Amino acid sequence: MATTAAQGFWRNPVMSLASTFTIGLMLLLFAFFLATDRGLQAAVNVLESKVELALFLEDGARVSDVLDLRARIEADPAVSRVDYITKEQAMARLVDIAAKRPDIQIVDTSENPLQASLEVKLARAQDAPRVTAALREEIGKGVVSDVVDNPQVVDKLLTITRVLSFGGLAVLAMMLIVALFVIVNTIRIAVHARRDEIEIMKLVGATDWFVRWPFILEGMLVGALGAVAATAVVLVAAGPVMSAMVNFIEILPLSFGQTFVWQLVGSVFALALAVGGGGAMLSVRAHLAK
Amino acid sequence: MVALLGRGNQLITLDDVSKRYPNGTDALRDVDLEIDSGDFVFLVGSSGAGKSSLIRLLIREELPSSGRVWVDGQDVVRMKHSAVPKLRRRVGVVFQDFKLLPRKTVAENVGFALLVTGHSGEEAREETERALALVGLSQRRAHFPDQLSGGEKQRTAIARALVSRPKILIADEPTGNLDPVTSWEIIKLLVRVNELGTTLLMATHNAEIVNALRRRVVHLDHGMVVRDEREGQYAA
Repeated sequence: MATTAAQGFWRNPVMSLASTFTIGLMLLLFAFFLATDRGLQAAVNVLESKVELALFLEDGARVSDVLDLRARIEADPAVSRVDYITKEQAMARLVDIAAKRPDIQIVDTSENPLQASLEVKLARAQDAPRVTAALREEIGKGVVSDVVDNPQVVDKLLTITRVLSFGGLAVLAMMLIVALFVIVNTIRIAVHARRDEIEIMKLVGATDWFVRWPFILEGMLVGALGAVAATAVVLVAAGPVMSAMVNFIEILPLSFGQTFVWQLVGSVFALALAVGGGGAMLSVRAHLAK
Repeated sequence: MVALLGRGNQLITLDDVSKRYPNGTDALRDVDLEIDSGDFVFLVGSSGAGKSSLIRLLIREELPSSGRVWVDGQDVVRMKHSAVPKLRRRVGVVFQDFKLLPRKTVAENVGFALLVTGHSGEEAREETERALALVGLSQRRAHFPDQLSGGEKQRTAIARALVSRPKILIADEPTGNLDPVTSWEIIKLLVRVNELGTTLLMATHNAEIVNALRRRVVHLDHGMVVRDEREGQYAA
């Protein structure tokens, strides 16, 4: 059966190689999409873990009120952690920062103008606008004087991720349809070349599955060869591309481990076999239904 | 009545069968036919009389527009699609144009029928030798179809039809492409196959053969059975 599939592949080399090339290209895009998605996901995770809101407290706020507010904020499932920074701790931080930066000089520490604050860490960046809005309502009630957030970076990153995800998925879907179309036609030609054999097989009582298998294997062979080509390109290009990506977003501790590479190769082969075999099945099914 | 159909000695039963094609042609009209196990039946009639349509119904290449068809006790019309291969293993078919695979040898063409129905290579080899011996082609087993005469091609096709030991052998104009002498060789072979116990249904235009053998003759005209005689002639 495998021999029949290989014979089918070489009986029409131009069409078989064209479908191998198309599938390979689709898989390459798929691999690139997976890697980019993984990178962006990592970037989002890193930035999300840094999403903070700061609630500056009135100097005259009572400690019991502050602790009460803190407990309420902590009760929100979107919040992962709340830290209470006293005026003294705020000053200590400023002194620390100043020590590292020659452009800042603290001349007089007799009076502490800094406010105490609650630093709120969020579990998910998407919740930042809602939590911020809720906390802003506390301003003017005697405890909170101001709420500071810095949503732009996260917002931008989330938008980029969404656009790339949807755009990538759309391009991938189109490539998938093209690849299926090419494979269906390649197998249709293979089926046509063997139509007499198929007719006799059916006449003498071969089951539909017996007729289908060699073609499905041929489709899977085309898919597997496309996967080999795509994997080869990915492995050659992976080093330079990834270091470029890591340089590009250098602030992020990105790394694509060995596990991810195997996952990538596994996914590429799984998709290749599914598209190759599935396309062939569609093609033969249409013929058998005649 | 219906419950008894196909359960007696009948191997083939057609009950009020009609077949109308989408273009409006009535290929078969109200056909009732019973063929007993071991019969040798000639199906005669002019071109377009409905002979090939009737044969296609028996191997479920097509379904009737109305009526019922039983083959070897099985309701061919109502059987599931997945049961069709098993039906076809019990009904061997031979065609005028032989339908041999040009890139396979005689033995491979015959063994192919067993290999594609899931038999082992060893089993296929043994049964192929038996079938080739029966049709007298053992010496030609390694030849390709284009190295064979018309008669040898048809004998290869008959061997392929018989290799899975079917109960019924259907021959659709098996001598249509052959000269008179070769035609007689093929007919003698089919008579022998019938004598060995296989029921035979043969569609033919060859009046000489029908008249000489004096077997049962079913005459189709415009899709209807107009004559059914035990020891019949080509024309009444």
